[in-house]
Amino acid sequence: MRVVILGSSLYSETACAMAVRMAKLGKGPAGALALSTLNRATLMRKIGQWGVAEVARYARTKLVSPRGDGQGHAKNPYLETLLNHEGGMFRSLRQVARVYGFPIAVCRDQNSPDAIARLKRWAPDLIVFTGGNILRKELLKVPRLGVLNVHLGLLPQIRGMSSPEWSLLSGVPVGITFHYMDAGIDTGPILRRYEFPGAAECESLSDLRSRLIAFGIAKIGEVIEGLILGTISPVQQSNLNRSNQNEDCQFFVIHEWLKARAAEHLGAGRRATIAASVHG
Amino acid sequence: MTSSCDDRRANSDGNAMAARMAKAFAETTGLLRGPQRAIPLLQKLISDRLRITFEQRHLYSYASTKRSSEETLNALLRWLLNAQRPDGGIAAYYSLLAGYSKSYPEVTGYLVPTMYDVGRITGDGRGVVAAECAVQWLLSLQMATGAFPGGLHGSEARPSVFNTGQILQGLVRAHMETKRPEILQAVVAAGDWLIGVQQPDGSWSGPGAYQDAPHTYYSMVAWSLAELSEHAEEDKYGIAAERNLDWVLSQFRPSGWIDGINLRGHPNYLHFIAYVLQGALECGILRGRKDAIQIVSRSAWILLRRFENNKYLPGNYEAEFKSRAHYACLTGNAQMSCVWLRLFEMTDDLRYLNAALKMNEMLKRLISDGGWRGIDGGVSGSSPVWGGYQPLRYISWGCKFFADALVLEHRLTRSLQASAFGALPCAS
Repeated sequence: MRVVILGSSLYSETACAMAVRMAKLGKGPAGALALSTLNRATLMRKIGQWGVAEVARYARTKLVSPRGDGQGHAKNPYLETLLNHEGGMFRSLRQVARVYGFPIAVCRDQNSPDAIARLKRWAPDLIVFTGGNILRKELLKVPRLGVLNVHLGLLPQIRGMSSPEWSLLSGVPVGITFHYMDAGIDTGPILRRYEFPGAAECESLSDLRSRLIAFGIAKIGEVIEGLILGTISPVQQSNLNRSNQNEDCQFFVIHEWLKARAAEHLGAGRRATIAASVHG
Repeated sequence: MTSSCDDRRANSDGNAMAARMAKAFAETTGLLRGPQRAIPLLQKLISDRLRITFEQRHLYSYASTKRSSEETLNALLRWLLNAQRPDGGIAAYYSLLAGYSKSYPEVTGYLVPTMYDVGRITGDGRGVVAAECAVQWLLSLQMATGAFPGGLHGSEARPSVFNTGQILQGLVRAHMETKRPEILQAVVAAGDWLIGVQQPDGSWSGPGAYQDAPHTYYSMVAWSLAELSEHAEEDKYGIAAERNLDWVLSQFRPSGWIDGINLRGHPNYLHFIAYVLQGALECGILRGRKDAIQIVSRSAWILLRRFENNKYLPGNYEAEFKSRAHYACLTGNAQMSCVWLRLFEMTDDLRYLNAALKMNEMLKRLISDGGWRGIDGGVSGSSPVWGGYQPLRYISWGCKFFADALVLEHRLTRSLQASAFGALPCAS
């Protein structure tokens, strides 16, 4: 099966780890397409999201001094096993591509005609999305099977943004869903759902998110194998059992106050709450 | 009959246009009378121009601020205290061109509960004193029929259904707080007048209604009557409130859009749409009408999705919530925050709370901190300030609704934190 990876940037740890995982599974990749980090729109968006100081810090760590000695730690510690390579660590998709021998391309917009033409040349059966733009129909039609996304929540109950946080607050088990992408937000056909057993042990929300990403990368082999063997087939979300068909299960970026409440459901948060109630 | 109605309508349209032009002229010449206002005007125009030039809205982020709700409530109260006129009424607005307006009975009335609440939360006793001064002034305005006049103080002698309803809300609260018998007399007289002029279909139209037409945003009047019914333990007011509620609910399309705002010569500002939702929701809650809560939630959800996806709500709408407006009506935003917070309280759907918290953050960033009297702590009609709704003005009802939203946020977040915060259902 020819698999292509879409990444949010050349320096995306998730994209790097996914590419390594694919290579180790003997499934390509046939190519990787990443968004350019240095374009005005992305820069302005990141400034809007993080602020100038944080963007400057990010640029310094990623561009000016890409951890010169090749040592150090991954932002997501659960990906380190995959990212470790010959005493160093993969820092960019270029390095992974060089080692595993697959082509790489950089674009400003994954939906642009150039990017789509490039993807078509790679003739993928499956595109694995690890981040980037909201994908348009033209791109979604490129792969033979579809564009696969690992959503950090159980569909169809929790779709949209901040899924792990909303799962904790809503009492829906924390988990991941492999699904094909369509024009909606996390509304495409579901391939497989996995509940994540380790949520209670997580120390923080970012720890939970990191573990879920690693969990998704670990499970992708099973899903691709299932697709090849035909043991997994896509199930339309509207055909799944739902208490109310009209229920809108879209969630949005979570506010900091609610995020803090969600963290209270994690192991560390619960311990702090119990301690406060004992001492208070 | 029809032709005489049309003549009267044309005549009243002509008069309204002339009045608007006279107002605009008076306002634009305001700078000649107070040239010192040119400095804050320029400051505001430049700062808003810069803000909209560099503003970045994105799906994955929302505007946030370190400014606390308590600090913002103090700023809003400061603005309201500055806007209180010597007669006890609150000015409708502070114009960047012409300064403070005269006292505005309608807004003074429904600011009373806000001033009590904000005074309590901030521990600033001046809020309660200001509320009581305002009530004293309002009592002096009541007409023999029980109605209150429309427009700014002294501008209109005609009784107004909407103003009476809004003032009723303040007086009911004032009676709860003070138990003064003359306030009870006033609220009963106002309530009786409202019932007396209600149409058989539950709406209010004719001479007491704005432009003589029925309006769905008079659901705010129904809310006041429902409050009066509960407070006075007199069901006739509640029945009248529900008659209006039924009429208002009949104007909601299945798509969530609301017909019957009926303001000739004005677009459907978010402020009026939010009025309809707020009035119908609160009346529905008080009367135990689950159908009202459900119908309102459909429209509120559409606006919530739009706000979440675009990080912005346009200031006015055409049918089916289409909009080409490039400004925000801040009052409408604050009202939507109130609606979402109340819907969260009713449904336990945390997405309503989430949207309201973000809306409040956005509004906090737009409140002036310090600076000139009339601007400090004020909520402008539009953002940018030259937008279509109340351009170049800081308006008292904007302060009112934003303060209400923060008071609600304060209450709900505290009670949520106090409870164990178990998992809540998130169903719309």
